[in-house]
Amino acid sequence: MTDTTPATPLDPLAPLGKIKEFNPTRQRIKKWLVFAVIGFALFYTLFPVYWLFLNSFKTRLDMFATPAIWLLDAPTLYNYVQTFVERPFLRFMFNSLVVAVGTTILALVFGTMAGFALARFDYPGRAKYHVSFWILSTRMMPPIVTIIPLFLFFAFVNLLNTKTALVIAYTGFNLPFVIWMMKGYFQELPRELEESAMVDGDTRLGAFIRVLIPLARPGLAATAIFTLILSWNEFLFALIITETQTSNTLPIGIAGRITQYKTEWGEISAAGFASCIPIIIFAFIVQKHLVRGLSFGAVKG
Amino acid sequence: MANITFENVTKRYGEVTAVSNLNLEVLDKEFLVLLGPSGCGKTTTMRMIAGLETITEGTLRIGGVEVNNVLPKYRNVAMVFQNYALYPHMTVAENIGYPLRVRKVPKEERRKIIEQAARTVELGELLERYPRQLSGGQRQRVALARAIIRRPTVFLMDEPLSNLDAKLRIQMRAELKHLQRELATTTVYVTHDQIEAMTLADRVAVMDQGVIKQLGPPKTIYGDPDNIFVAGFIGSPGMNLTRGELRDGTFAGEGFTVPGVGGGNRRAAVLGVRPEDLRIVGTGEGHLRAPLYSVELTGESTLLTVRTQDVFVIIRTDKDFAGNVDDEIEVAVNLDKAYLFDAETGERIRG
Repeated sequence: MTDTTPATPLDPLAPLGKIKEFNPTRQRIKKWLVFAVIGFALFYTLFPVYWLFLNSFKTRLDMFATPAIWLLDAPTLYNYVQTFVERPFLRFMFNSLVVAVGTTILALVFGTMAGFALARFDYPGRAKYHVSFWILSTRMMPPIVTIIPLFLFFAFVNLLNTKTALVIAYTGFNLPFVIWMMKGYFQELPRELEESAMVDGDTRLGAFIRVLIPLARPGLAATAIFTLILSWNEFLFALIITETQTSNTLPIGIAGRITQYKTEWGEISAAGFASCIPIIIFAFIVQKHLVRGLSFGAVKG
Repeated sequence: MANITFENVTKRYGEVTAVSNLNLEVLDKEFLVLLGPSGCGKTTTMRMIAGLETITEGTLRIGGVEVNNVLPKYRNVAMVFQNYALYPHMTVAENIGYPLRVRKVPKEERRKIIEQAARTVELGELLERYPRQLSGGQRQRVALARAIIRRPTVFLMDEPLSNLDAKLRIQMRAELKHLQRELATTTVYVTHDQIEAMTLADRVAVMDQGVIKQLGPPKTIYGDPDNIFVAGFIGSPGMNLTRGELRDGTFAGEGFTVPGVGGGNRRAAVLGVRPEDLRIVGTGEGHLRAPLYSVELTGESTLLTVRTQDVFVIIRTDKDFAGNVDDEIEVAVNLDKAYLFDAETGERIRG
């Protein structure tokens, strides 16, 4: 037995450590330091976008000028005309939009229902087999390992070079994420809500649609934007599965401007900048929900 | 007719038996309270009536019709949940009207019925508010309005008052009782609060470990308990229960004897006496003499605790009682109100 009583009894009013006095200069320095860090982070993320934006309006000559041109006095739309009129980038954009929106809708519909089932239903082997873990585990390998089987599969069902193939592949890759997000969301909602709805005369599906889905809206918004961004930007699968204009997506189109002899920086910049815009617009629309969606536990009955 | 009949109903969760071979008939228009400690199976019993739990064995009938495999929506029961389960994204009016909306009642008609239900529970002004903008009592009323709006055949209430503060609880208790009489609807009410059970119920079913220990009107449950569990569970402070031996109708406990309690000869018995059935008497007239262990004034009476060896006995006496800790007092048992129980089975020894 060791003696655990302190040598001197603790004074409850004794200060915790040395008293620090409030120092205005110190506070000011702290504040400016915070600003500096925020400023750097902003520069780090925004400068490439600004450079992209700038380059998209430059002539090839201006682009490689030294010293670099930071502000344009003679912007040109040449790059935009080249990409969107001369080349089929509008078509690529349309393809990307169809694929991204299709994927998002499909992944959300199936993922929400699966997430709900995993959160609530007492399916056989629930405790034993960690179904949700195995669902997530499909994301633990690099996607490229599935590309050959997928390619063969799409070749077999005659879906190569179609948007449908892309939607199917992307939905598969996004589903685990959607399922986990939505499962977490539904677990946060009190069970009594849907029970009450069912006793009130609704079916389980009705309770799900009328009561749970509206409450899970922030989660849906957050999940939707992630899925949308992921499928909008995906390159690898699109490169392998698509071949021609009918299904080529924007990232493929952009990469195509790096040719054997020349890299069309102007067109790449114009297409790249244009491809940011739809995502930014969508993010603005759902951002109200997004903040709540990312901070779980915001919904309480 | 909306009587509810349980015939040999059992509910098991894997290895755990929540409700065991339950036989119970809730009469038409009756207010039945299921009372018991947490985990006794009372909520499971109610959820089986609602259709939120499946029945492992046995038959459940509502109004004579077997409902074992009937979905909740076809049972026409209404339920008030402990946390009210209001839909947070709907206004009070939408919450109350939900059962009608699901049944596709036209909007105009719905509006009228909602307003009428809101008036019944005095919510008229708040129809456009959201649940988060309401106080606990108001939320409770919304939940009630949502339950009464479609004239259900059965009301189920799962500890509806437990989230309210003490004062509001007493007010809502009276309102609930009044409402139930007015609507004349069969009601099953779950609580662990014995005062709620005593005040509200036509009949109380005291449950423990998945079994009904006693079923009867509150007066019987309190004044004529069938077993130790009911005797000990009902009443606050609880009944004094002491172990001892019975010899020719005389109970011998630790350091005291009570003659004339009946029951013949038994090696192990338990004597139960409620605090108010003990009185302080002069020296030599009582059954037990012991020093006071504590004196507590509750307002309407004084609770005395005396200690004899390892047994504590609580006595309810007059609020003007004057005495101090360690004073010796002598206590007599009101023999009409002394209950004997078998120490092993816990069953009442009558006669």
